[in-house]
Amino acid sequence: MFSRALRGIRQSLGTQLLSVATVALALFCMAGALLLVENAGAMVRRWGAPVRMTVYLADGASGSGVEALRSALAALPEVESARYVSPADARASLGHGDDALADAPVDLFPATIELRLVPAAMTPSRLGAVADRVRRLPTVTGVETYRGFTDRLRAMLTGGRAAAGFLALGVLVCVFAVVSNTVRMSLQSRGREIEVLRLVGASPGYVRAPFLLEGAFLGVFGALAAVTLLGVFFFGFRYQFDQTLGLALGVRPVFLSGWVVLGLLTGGGALGALGSAAALQRGLNGAPT
Amino acid sequence: MGRSRVSTAFRPHFRPEGHFDRSASHKPILVLEGVMKVYRADAPVLRRVDLTVERGEFVFITGPSGAGKSTLLRLVYRAETVDEGRILFCGRDVARLTDESIPHLRRNIGVVFQDFRLVPYWTVSQNVAVALEVMGLSPRVVRSRVALALERVGLDGRGEDLAGVLSGGEQQRVSIARAIVTEPAIVLADEPTGNLDPVLALDILGLFEEIHEGGTTVLFATHDRSLLEVTPRRLIVLDDGRAIEARAGLSALGGALGGTLGPDHGVDIDVRDDELLEAPLH
Repeated sequence: MFSRALRGIRQSLGTQLLSVATVALALFCMAGALLLVENAGAMVRRWGAPVRMTVYLADGASGSGVEALRSALAALPEVESARYVSPADARASLGHGDDALADAPVDLFPATIELRLVPAAMTPSRLGAVADRVRRLPTVTGVETYRGFTDRLRAMLTGGRAAAGFLALGVLVCVFAVVSNTVRMSLQSRGREIEVLRLVGASPGYVRAPFLLEGAFLGVFGALAAVTLLGVFFFGFRYQFDQTLGLALGVRPVFLSGWVVLGLLTGGGALGALGSAAALQRGLNGAPT
Repeated sequence: MGRSRVSTAFRPHFRPEGHFDRSASHKPILVLEGVMKVYRADAPVLRRVDLTVERGEFVFITGPSGAGKSTLLRLVYRAETVDEGRILFCGRDVARLTDESIPHLRRNIGVVFQDFRLVPYWTVSQNVAVALEVMGLSPRVVRSRVALALERVGLDGRGEDLAGVLSGGEQQRVSIARAIVTEPAIVLADEPTGNLDPVLALDILGLFEEIHEGGTTVLFATHDRSLLEVTPRRLIVLDDGRAIEARAGLSALGGALGGTLGPDHGVDIDVRDDELLEAPLH
């Protein structure tokens, strides 16, 4: 059966290669989108995790009161550490290398307690609950959870995933149509072969199997070409990615995981076989027996 | 042609479940009963055709173009179905075979066409081997049987040639090799000499005679009258959709002269074994 399928592919090699290239191009777009989404996900995980909270203290909060509050906050199970940042410390930190800020009056800078949270114990809802509790404390004037930033990141990722989903849908339709039409052309050009097979008593499965395999081959080879091309681009330009995006965003770009690659290959094969099955359904049913 | 050779060549294995029907070997190989085939209501192609073909017979079917010769053969290998009547092949109604059984029926029937029906981009061997490959035989068996078949049709050593580059006569020999390589119970020849010059036509007819001498039943449809005179075989004329027995074959003549030459035509044999026909069909 494999040899018959390969014989069929060899017979119309030009058409088959063109189809593989088209399928590869479509799957390249989809794999590229997956790569972007996967790396954006890593960035969201890196930056979007609720690991920080800043507690703004009222002006004139006394040293012992602040220390009591810091100790109380540090004792919360969601808090990993709590550090008091005085107005002078804040000015020194922010004014480092900036003369204007370094010379600003110290009372422009609020005293804060910087909390480092336990990422594993923290969810967005729990973060909100902790912030509400802290906000009600007497010496606290405000709490910054940085959720606005993470929410924007998440929204971007959700939008990216939706766009990738639509792209994937388009790619699936494209691959299905390309394989289906290639197999239909193959059926037409090999009409005599099919006629002979039926004449000598080939079962319907025997007639169909090489075409199904041919479609699966088209899908798998197309996916393989797409992943290879993406890999060449990715690893060829990885150094530049590391130097720019990596340093700026604090995440190193990663290639598609083995499972995603395997999914692309098997998905390509399955889609090719489905496209082929559709072509056979239309192409063989009306054919002479 | 002896009876024993006929019965060993006959292997009715067209049931998917592989049951061997022993009773079938005692029945005529082909029986047409009141067969009607209508494409246009006002001009039926076949009108209540009755015909019985015994195992090991060589039967010419003739008639003008459009008389229904090809249609009759197509009905036998179930490329089409009868509108009325029935066709019993080895005692089984081919119109009532399930879709799964049709390939098994065709593995018992070799068909040769006027236009050869070869795959031109396959080699000669591949064109012949396909008939065995669909049966799932091992490559070793396929190779040896293909070589034998090519030798029988005089194409020894031409196995690797592409079928499309052969001459018409050679292509027809390939087509015949494909038809006989499975040792079918019957070979149907649909104007097999129609595309050949008279000398090649006689060659091809000679080949069918040799195949027939090996015990295979042959139904040879032709409108070439010169071929009909070469050997005094049984002759059925299709005229206006009706089958007319125009000449008895050697076996019938032999029967009339004392029954020493082979089986009777069996036109009067009753094969309506309903119990056999009902069981495995849909």
